[in-house]
Amino acid sequence: MTRGEHWVRTLLGDAAVAAADGVPSVRVADGTLDGAAWRAVAVVPNPVARFPRARGGELGLDEGLALADAVRGAPPDAAILAIVDVPGQAFGRREEAAGLQLALAAAVNAYATERRAGRPIFALVVGKAISGAFLAHGLQAGWIGALRDPGVEVHVMPAASVARVTRATPDEVARVATIVPATARDIVTFARFGAIDALFDVHDPLAPSSAERAAIVRALVDARERGLGTRAPRERLATDAARRTRAPALDVRDRIARAWQS
Amino acid sequence: MHEIVVERLGGRAIAGRSHVGVVASGNLEVLCEPAAAPRTRITVRTTVNGFDAIWRAVLERFLERHAVAADIEVNDFGATPAMVTLRLEQALEAADA
Amino acid sequence: MNSVRTPVSFAEATPRERLRALVDDFVEFLDPFARVSSPHLAAHGLVAQRDDGVVVGRGRLAGSTVGAVAIDGRFLGGSIGEVGGAKIAATLEAAPGGALIAFDTGGIRLQEANLGILAIAEICDAIVALRARAPVVAVIAGRVGCYGGMSLAASLCSHIVMTEGARLGLNGPDVVEQEAGPDEMDARDRPAIWRLTGGARRVAQGHADALAPDDCAALAMAVRAAFGALSQHLERLSTTRLRASFDAALGGEP
Repeated sequence: MTRGEHWVRTLLGDAAVAAADGVPSVRVADGTLDGAAWRAVAVVPNPVARFPRARGGELGLDEGLALADAVRGAPPDAAILAIVDVPGQAFGRREEAAGLQLALAAAVNAYATERRAGRPIFALVVGKAISGAFLAHGLQAGWIGALRDPGVEVHVMPAASVARVTRATPDEVARVATIVPATARDIVTFARFGAIDALFDVHDPLAPSSAERAAIVRALVDARERGLGTRAPRERLATDAARRTRAPALDVRDRIARAWQS
Repeated sequence: MHEIVVERLGGRAIAGRSHVGVVASGNLEVLCEPAAAPRTRITVRTTVNGFDAIWRAVLERFLERHAVAADIEVNDFGATPAMVTLRLEQALEAADA
Repeated sequence: MNSVRTPVSFAEATPRERLRALVDDFVEFLDPFARVSSPHLAAHGLVAQRDDGVVVGRGRLAGSTVGAVAIDGRFLGGSIGEVGGAKIAATLEAAPGGALIAFDTGGIRLQEANLGILAIAEICDAIVALRARAPVVAVIAGRVGCYGGMSLAASLCSHIVMTEGARLGLNGPDVVEQEAGPDEMDARDRPAIWRLTGGARRVAQGHADALAPDDCAALAMAVRAAFGALSQHLERLSTTRLRASFDAALGGEP
């Protein structure tokens, strides 16, 4: 069982887990936290998925669509919790031919439109969050939490490909990541940019204690009550962290806002 | 990443500012602006180290021909001397227009 | 009176030339002289371009004041970093009457990874927000095409105009070959790559809405037509329609 599958069960209970739309790689669980309705969604491996390049838990063609439907089809009063643990994107010929960009865009679209229509969207990063997969499943949330754990990483491209594209050695890529925070892959450095609202210490990510689970549930319930689930991605720039680490972006936005007014 | 600055006296005014080029491999961008002081200052940022002497030769040759009161910024991505000279000339021509 | 007009290639035009061809009265925001460029590139031994490879501003299109964006595919592959990403998002967020976005991009700038991905999330949301009240027209007609996270942004727009020579996909052929092996994808087989992801195929599939020749005037006409037409994104992003097309895609060569 992957972290994603595990955390769906941990947070919303065993009995509620079911596949979305006949796509077993997208797990959906409906339940309640503190009396309010929630739907958790995670992408998990399916070794017999019909698209061979999407069998290891990647976000592929079928997964993108199933995510979109799971988000739109949630009970009207349910908040969405995206459990993020995706080892990568589906890299394949069929995927590019059939239009993987549209499958993922359908998921982005569902999350963004539902959030803008008033449905609270939350994300909890429990494993890897990769590039297009993270854009499609997680980054449109109004509130993002993450486990503080070495297995929790944010990448924009696999390391070997980064080395090739930038014409550096893998060692150089790893070295630069230690001095340029924007290229670091660990969640703690990523959190410095202001997009992670809470980091949770968990002794064993596959066997959280009831106290550890309770802390996360409390944070989710509290964040929902405070209306944080409907914030737009741009509001991350208003955090103290972003003021320190995203000053160029803030400067650009300020100047363009004023240029529009003149 | 390497920076080179060359300055020479020059009093001819230019009409306005200009921008040419692109920071693509083998290419460069040039920004040219009028200066209050009667000198040309050229500031070069380049990805390639170890070519100071060639840069200075190219820039000095350009400055000999154009004694303008200007601040010229060059952002270079490995352009040849001929390309650098071309872009400087283009920038000045556009600034004089 | 007929006049024979020489085609002017959009693919060979600079970003500013592209915007001037597509919108009227273009005024640039934060031009290169504003010197708002990337502070992250020096650490990678790279020289920053003063507009960070993104040209933004406002213009007039079919009677509306629109945000105008053109990504410079020549600078670091048109990749999106902190500054360029913020330029795009900020331009879209306050655009009164819609937007025109010329995509020529490989996606997130690797040298600014975390900042790039955050910016693209903001851009996607800005498109969804703007699209609800005004047209957001994407033009994919450059040399790099539209890849990576920005392919998601383009796919969210209300209209997409492409040329045959441009490509739209999530993962570039190099990355697919690197990750899945040369048997899966030969990145040097250019005809095959265009057959899979080029403009003609994408329009035929409904992943883009209109095909135009690589000519500035023809693209301007196509953009004006798109701006006044019914939005296409609901149909394009329909999971029912996509599921049927993915069902058909199964079983080998498209």
